[in-house]
Amino acid sequence: MMTEPERSIDIDPEPTTRITVETRFGVFEADLRDMVTFPDGLPGFETCRRFVVLSSLEMAPIQCLHAVDGAPASFLAIDPRLVLPSYRSVLSQADKLRLGIADEAALLWLALVTVAEDNSGTVNLRAPIVINPARMTGFQVMPHNSLYPLRYPLGGSDRETEKG
Amino acid sequence: MLVFSRKRDEAIVIGDGVEVRVLRIGRDGVRLGIQAPTSVPVHRREIYDLIRAENQTAAQASVATPTALVARLRQAARAPAPGVGPAPAPRAPGAPDASSVAGEPPAPAARHRA
Repeated sequence: MMTEPERSIDIDPEPTTRITVETRFGVFEADLRDMVTFPDGLPGFETCRRFVVLSSLEMAPIQCLHAVDGAPASFLAIDPRLVLPSYRSVLSQADKLRLGIADEAALLWLALVTVAEDNSGTVNLRAPIVINPARMTGFQVMPHNSLYPLRYPLGGSDRETEKG
Repeated sequence: MLVFSRKRDEAIVIGDGVEVRVLRIGRDGVRLGIQAPTSVPVHRREIYDLIRAENQTAAQASVATPTALVARLRQAARAPAPGVGPAPAPRAPGAPDASSVAGEPPAPAARHRA
């Protein structure tokens, strides 16, 4: 006798973890399971302990680091290696222990984008955000000394003005 | 603020596992040793303040950042960084607009669980 084929069940047994996130840059879909915990928040935003990293085709490669608790905070962010291909990890031994990493290559890096009054963008390479996806934890790395600048121009400082 | 006077080699204990010890006192300042659990970040005050100020500026900037600006930043992000490789060539007329390229967004934080 043939076994009965499995039937798909219409009812989702799990309560949904999808959330809609409204940010300054638009509305995004996110999943609570993708939430990253920042045990110490961020300097200036110490009450924000949980973040989501939001992406969209329209914004890529720029992403949005958005706090889902604590003070309202949304940041534009971009992988520093996209801005400066020679960018190197600046993790100290203490940082690595905090991250609890086994694989440094799996880490996610985000440099926060600052928009100047003339609407040009700079990225904070001095203190990047690092996230360990295996543990869904992250923090802002602040090396004592760094060769990387606080405001690295996004797209180059002598960018041609757009024509037309 | 609690104020203590400490001689060299004397220490302060903070909370459950943080110790601050005076290692050396010299003309250039005081050398302090900090023992703290790995989970407790320790930073020079001025570095923390510098990063805090920049974070606040970055968050502020996003308040007035419209979608069009994000599009512009995105285009800028796709331009080669200065000093890396040959100088960027001017964009040829008729080159496809960046916004028409259906690129994959960078993967958001993965759903891995240790």
